[in-house]
Amino acid sequence: MTQSLPPLEELIACHECDLLMRHPRVGLEQKACCPRCGFELVTHRSHMRRRSLALVLTALILFVPANFLPIISLNLLGQNAVDTVWSGVLGLYNAGMEGIALVVLLCSMLVPLMKLLCQLFVLLAMPYAELRPAACYWYRVYHHMREWGMLEVYLFGILVSAVKLLDMAELHLGVGLGCFVALMLTQVWLEVTMSPHQVWDALSEKEDGHART
Amino acid sequence: MRALDAGIIVCSECHKLEYLRQGEVQHCTRCGARLHARRPDSIARTWALLVTAAILYIPANVLPIMTVNFLGKGAPSTIMAGVLELVHAGMVPIALVVFVASILVPTFKLVGIALLLYSVQRHQPMSARQRILMYRFIEWIGRWSMLDIFVIAILVALVNFGNLASIEPNLGAAAFSCVVILTMLAAVTFDPRLIWDNTFGEEEIEREEGEPVSGDNDTGRESEASAPPSNY
Repeated sequence: MTQSLPPLEELIACHECDLLMRHPRVGLEQKACCPRCGFELVTHRSHMRRRSLALVLTALILFVPANFLPIISLNLLGQNAVDTVWSGVLGLYNAGMEGIALVVLLCSMLVPLMKLLCQLFVLLAMPYAELRPAACYWYRVYHHMREWGMLEVYLFGILVSAVKLLDMAELHLGVGLGCFVALMLTQVWLEVTMSPHQVWDALSEKEDGHART
Repeated sequence: MRALDAGIIVCSECHKLEYLRQGEVQHCTRCGARLHARRPDSIARTWALLVTAAILYIPANVLPIMTVNFLGKGAPSTIMAGVLELVHAGMVPIALVVFVASILVPTFKLVGIALLLYSVQRHQPMSARQRILMYRFIEWIGRWSMLDIFVIAILVALVNFGNLASIEPNLGAAAFSCVVILTMLAAVTFDPRLIWDNTFGEEEIEREEGEPVSGDNDTGRESEASAPPSNY
């Protein structure tokens, strides 16, 4: 049976249900989904590298103000308190909850930052053959971290706590919140733009051409 | 047909195809990841994580997750109490969000993953398509349960006015974050291809009879050259 199969390069298997198919021809800005389970197999984005690089840099620039500028400030009987993502981590740590402090630190700051750095490195290393093994490694690391970055969940957390505090004290939204929203949107956009299939293809190409990115 | 039937395994990291070589530890030629036909010990590992999560689920819901000190009075509150408080304050939509994120979702995940495991182990004749949708939903929604943890982090940092008002995190929060992390890990260790391995025959027949083969556009045809039709 193996003899009658086309070469492996012309085949693709669904990652979620293991269905074997011929590799579809996908045009620019088109995607192909698994006919059996609907999993997205291949997406082809135009100018993937350039667009992703722009988004990664934007996100990295936004990262610092989003995490260290005040998100909300609270005024209670003349006393003022500000909250940043970082102060949330510190607050938990000081309250003796080191474990949760670590989880919050990872999910809302470290993992998103590491994800962005991995993506930046992969995108930069793409045209250089000697950097590709390292890029492959970091792109794998990125895939493992993917769902552990929880910026959008954190944003909802901000909303819920703001509502909880509304009737207790005076609330002001800070600059940090704007940056945080922008960071989250950029990151979501980046994840849509940087199609993994294209990245892997670019990373496995021989030196002869990097036209496909 | 399945890739595995053709002696092909898929790299779990970069999705490259490789021929399976029996009795050999294989690594992906593109990204270097260890290759497995299916995620190793998927069912046992997922069960282990799930049972641990189910045990921690009890303290997570019974123990207080935070204590609100307001003008000298301290009131510990559990997850459910927090939701009820929001309802009493008239903020039903937000209460609903918190209820869904911190009570419905963890419960649904525990039950859902257990159901998936059971159906795969016992070869239950359930629709594979429905189960894969459930799996994807569980995988996607898992992270949203962290909402309550983040709320606690923000509140603890913000409400810190000494005796006047302060909020302290409690042990329930630690248990709850463990439940969320363990169920997320359980979703990662579960191999969705097991769902299709079991119900392979029926689904294929069903598909051949009526449904269109195409996905969004231009999608892959099954490699018709590879297997006799009766094999489907």
